[in-house]
Amino acid sequence: MLKYILGRFGAMLLTLFLVMTLSFLIIRLMPMSLFENPEVDPVIQKLLEAEMHLDKPMVVQYYYFVKGIVTEGDFGRSVKIRPGMEVFKVLASKIRPTVLLNVLSLVIAIPLGIIAGTVAALRNNKLTDTIISFLVVIFISVPSFVFASLLQYAFTFLWPLFPTLYDPAAPNLAATLHSLAMPIIALALNPIATIARYLRGELIETMSSEYLLLARTKGLTRAQATVRHAFRNSLVPIFNAIIPLITAIMGGSMVVEKIFAVPGIGGQLIESILAGDHFLTVAGLIYYSAVSLATILIVDISYGLIDPRIRVGGTK
Amino acid sequence: MPKQQNDTTGNSAIANDIILKVADLRVSFRAYGGRVQAVRGISFDLKRGETVAIVGESGSGKSVSVKTVMGILPGNAIIESGEVRYGGMDLTKVSEEKFHEIRGNRIGLIFQDPLSALNPIMKIGKQITETLRLAKKMSGEEARAKAIELMAAVHIPDPQRRFNQYPFQFSGGMRQRIVIAIALAGDPEILICDEPTTALDVTVQSKILELINEIKRERHLSVIFITHDLGVVANMADRVNVMYAGKIVEAGTTEEIFFSPAHPYTWALLSSMPDLQTKERLQAIPGAPPNMIYPPAGDAFARRNPYALKIDMEKEPPYFRLSDTHYAATWLAHPKAPKVEMPAVLRARIDRMKRSGMLNG
Repeated sequence: MLKYILGRFGAMLLTLFLVMTLSFLIIRLMPMSLFENPEVDPVIQKLLEAEMHLDKPMVVQYYYFVKGIVTEGDFGRSVKIRPGMEVFKVLASKIRPTVLLNVLSLVIAIPLGIIAGTVAALRNNKLTDTIISFLVVIFISVPSFVFASLLQYAFTFLWPLFPTLYDPAAPNLAATLHSLAMPIIALALNPIATIARYLRGELIETMSSEYLLLARTKGLTRAQATVRHAFRNSLVPIFNAIIPLITAIMGGSMVVEKIFAVPGIGGQLIESILAGDHFLTVAGLIYYSAVSLATILIVDISYGLIDPRIRVGGTK
Repeated sequence: MPKQQNDTTGNSAIANDIILKVADLRVSFRAYGGRVQAVRGISFDLKRGETVAIVGESGSGKSVSVKTVMGILPGNAIIESGEVRYGGMDLTKVSEEKFHEIRGNRIGLIFQDPLSALNPIMKIGKQITETLRLAKKMSGEEARAKAIELMAAVHIPDPQRRFNQYPFQFSGGMRQRIVIAIALAGDPEILICDEPTTALDVTVQSKILELINEIKRERHLSVIFITHDLGVVANMADRVNVMYAGKIVEAGTTEEIFFSPAHPYTWALLSSMPDLQTKERLQAIPGAPPNMIYPPAGDAFARRNPYALKIDMEKEPPYFRLSDTHYAATWLAHPKAPKVEMPAVLRARIDRMKRSGMLNG
């Protein structure tokens, strides 16, 4: 098991390194220069470029970039959005609302998705199932920012139950959550539907499996057999679906943060790309891939815990 | 179907001997094309301590019959009529809430495919003890001891270690032994084996069959043995019911079915058994089983039967009594029917079987 985790961790670091390299190269090769500000004295501009090694060839720039990260944990400085500030600090100042928004979306999506999927599977082909499956199709196919706008219109304008925008100066967590409720719901709809759809399919399949029949013929009640055999077995593949969910939430978060004016990393990333603040953009991209990779790692490890075939290394 | 009640009136001991009685059972399935009549009025008895085989090809309704006995028919099944008498109850009327007390504890079932019958992510030991813990409220220690004892009884080597392993660490034959151990965990008195060796390779087959015979003797079980393989039946069963298209077409003791088969379908089944001595081409049964949404009039087998009489196509044959225990539903058995002999190949084969004494009796 330890070998399995170490292997996964090594693969994760390698991937992260590749992502870092690729995003560095792509962003740096973009035409926009870091200093295109006509108000800055050309001499100072030259000095700044020299300090940030921008006057050197790309390979050398990359060397300094990696060296800075490995030896000092220095990802560079922001030059346009927060001039002179370390990008790490810029991101850190934005991380709270984003994490709150993304984690809470996932946290409410998982149980709701599981409940919806289970109900649909148990009521297979009945009206309840049809209604749930209908909603699932809508929630999966319509992007989260559409729901964000609709929710904003409905619940902050027509029936003003929630504030229109995120309130960064909220006095306490409850008030923060109140102003985050709409974006959280908008982001959670797609994951709820995805989990429900997967789980419904899995449950229906396991419910007709031979081992569930065996569980019943050995004397378990229908409920015992469903909970102890069908449910747990159906959750195994659901774990895999959680990886794309997290990336979907983070991707959706970029736009939804904009709609509700949440000062988070998503909005920050878009801003820095548009402004040409390269160091900040690269750092933002690294943050996103690090979070995704960490999720994959956690899912892989828990997979090993849930499914003995992976843990013990069997094939069938 | 044989009316065995006739001889039971004077002898209550024999009447008590019947542990399970299926009477005129009809089961259909709702399907897109209409109602599939899977079981069309079968009756048979299971006496205490005996093995009754139900033999037939795929789709003949044999599995549906035992699923009815176990109360595990799928949702689209309808029990049209008939009853399954067991322990003073009619199992077709027992509610789902009550049935789980019978399953496992009174009647155990061994599945066809041990590869898919075990939960892949649950430890073997837990799968055996689960029902002991939940249904019999045993303590963890007691249940574990009993499970290990059961695993030893079905000849799993090193049961203490195997107890904590997962199904994927077992071979097919070993998994079938586990399935048998699970079926025995509740101490049932009836064991239903639904093609228990079909998914296993031949060398493992015979060992599993031996095991079933062994536990039957040791635990005084009554066994219903479902198979499509008459060769397996010879060593297992006391009595045989041959099923075709949802009906029992011939019933008798194993000896009667093997040595003096009367229904052309039984002939066909016996002729299509491969053996080493027959020099001629192996006889296959021509055609395919009928569509059970519209079962044919008369004898369902008539259209595939080279010996069929005209009346076989038109009028359903009743059971003709050939001996106290031997009945066949074919007009060929009617006293006025033209004398039709079984195929010569089969005759030769039966003579060989008689000489070699291949039957268990």
